[in-house]
Amino acid sequence: MIGKPEWFKRRKYTGWGIMPKTWQGYVYIAVMILPLIFFQAQPYWSDRTRMIITLAWAALLAADVIHIMIKMKRDERERLHEAIAERNAFWFMMMVLVIGIAYEVASNAANQKIYVSPFMAAAVIGAVIVKMITNIYLERKN
Amino acid sequence: MAIAKNRLKEYREKAGLSQEKLAEKLGVTRQTIISLESNRYVPSLELALKLAKEFKCRVEDMFGI
Repeated sequence: MIGKPEWFKRRKYTGWGIMPKTWQGYVYIAVMILPLIFFQAQPYWSDRTRMIITLAWAALLAADVIHIMIKMKRDERERLHEAIAERNAFWFMMMVLVIGIAYEVASNAANQKIYVSPFMAAAVIGAVIVKMITNIYLERKN
Repeated sequence: MAIAKNRLKEYREKAGLSQEKLAEKLGVTRQTIISLESNRYVPSLELALKLAKEFKCRVEDMFGI
């Protein structure tokens, strides 16, 4: 698409995504981010137009970043490290979610209500489904 | 799993290759070569076979458990 994988490196210590490695990467960030500010600063556009153009540009940027991340080369050691780091991050998130759901259930039960945030429940159920699909796919593949 | 025998550095130096050059030839990072040589990383079968092919030897000549 627009950006090239060799301009970036994968974020390892500061979250997820990519960060510039070469000057082309910094230029790419500037060229892709500045229009978002430019769109917001247009006085003659309606709010709707501004929102549509901003969302379209943000979608293009997200698609290009995902494309860059897919194309980024990693050797087997890097892939192993990434998988372990992602697994640990997932376990931590899952632990917080489960504690959050338990807290919510307990605090609502005190008021004789049964309520769990649909977002937290969807995150846990979704993760179970994704894990199941991944395992089925991997077992069929190798 | 630890590797008891690891002669990668010896083979690389004999071939007159730098860590960077070998990494480039194998399509891995220099850090992976460093980790392999210092016995901190056990290569996959694919990488071990690539190394053996590069140095024209058998895998068991280079690595052993």
